[in-house]
Amino acid sequence: MHTIGKLAQFAEVTTDTVRYYEKEGLLLSVKKTDAGYRLYDEDSVRRLRFIRQAQKSGFSLTEIRELLALKNSDAACCSDVRSVAIEKKLQLEHKIRALQVMSRALTELVTICDDESKPLDECPILAALETSMIKKMK
Amino acid sequence: MIKVEVFSSPGCAKCMQAKAVLKAISEELGQDKVTWREVNILEEMDYAVDLGVMSTPAMAIDGELVFSSLPSASKLRTELDKRLR
Repeated sequence: MHTIGKLAQFAEVTTDTVRYYEKEGLLLSVKKTDAGYRLYDEDSVRRLRFIRQAQKSGFSLTEIRELLALKNSDAACCSDVRSVAIEKKLQLEHKIRALQVMSRALTELVTICDDESKPLDECPILAALETSMIKKMK
Repeated sequence: MIKVEVFSSPGCAKCMQAKAVLKAISEELGQDKVTWREVNILEEMDYAVDLGVMSTPAMAIDGELVFSSLPSASKLRTELDKRLR
């Protein structure tokens, strides 16, 4: 059995993170010591590492909850998990597109600013942003 | 000619049966009027993103995402009839 501090250390997170996951229902302490301290077993360690790894792969806590439910469901199979992964990949591809559009817009703005010594009120980047805001409002 | 495209991943068991029913509907209208294409999302991810597909299975008609999940047989029939008029 591990204390919350040890569990956090194993997964390289803070104890606050462990408490937060527990509050969100992603993690459960197995029992408490006589003094009321939470104790966790090896399964909690694996579960916490799973949560961290999934978060690093871009899954939200809601999606991780879904993955954990699939993991523990007798009726689920590998293709269910694969579907979740494909859906996540689609979302990431959409995000990448949106970020590329933003990046191109910023490149254009940086290009129009050819004189860095101009005073702030003549900054073409700020002017361009202001103009695009006015255009949107019209 | 109407172009129906179904986006799914290979091995999606739940899609198989639904796809077969919908494919039969499009074929009933005649292959000279409706073409049916099954798109493997893993092979054509860029195209799926172009059309705005956010989850699978999904259906596009004439290059436009019309159903973000597979429609019922009657909904597809109505949509195709509307476009054939």
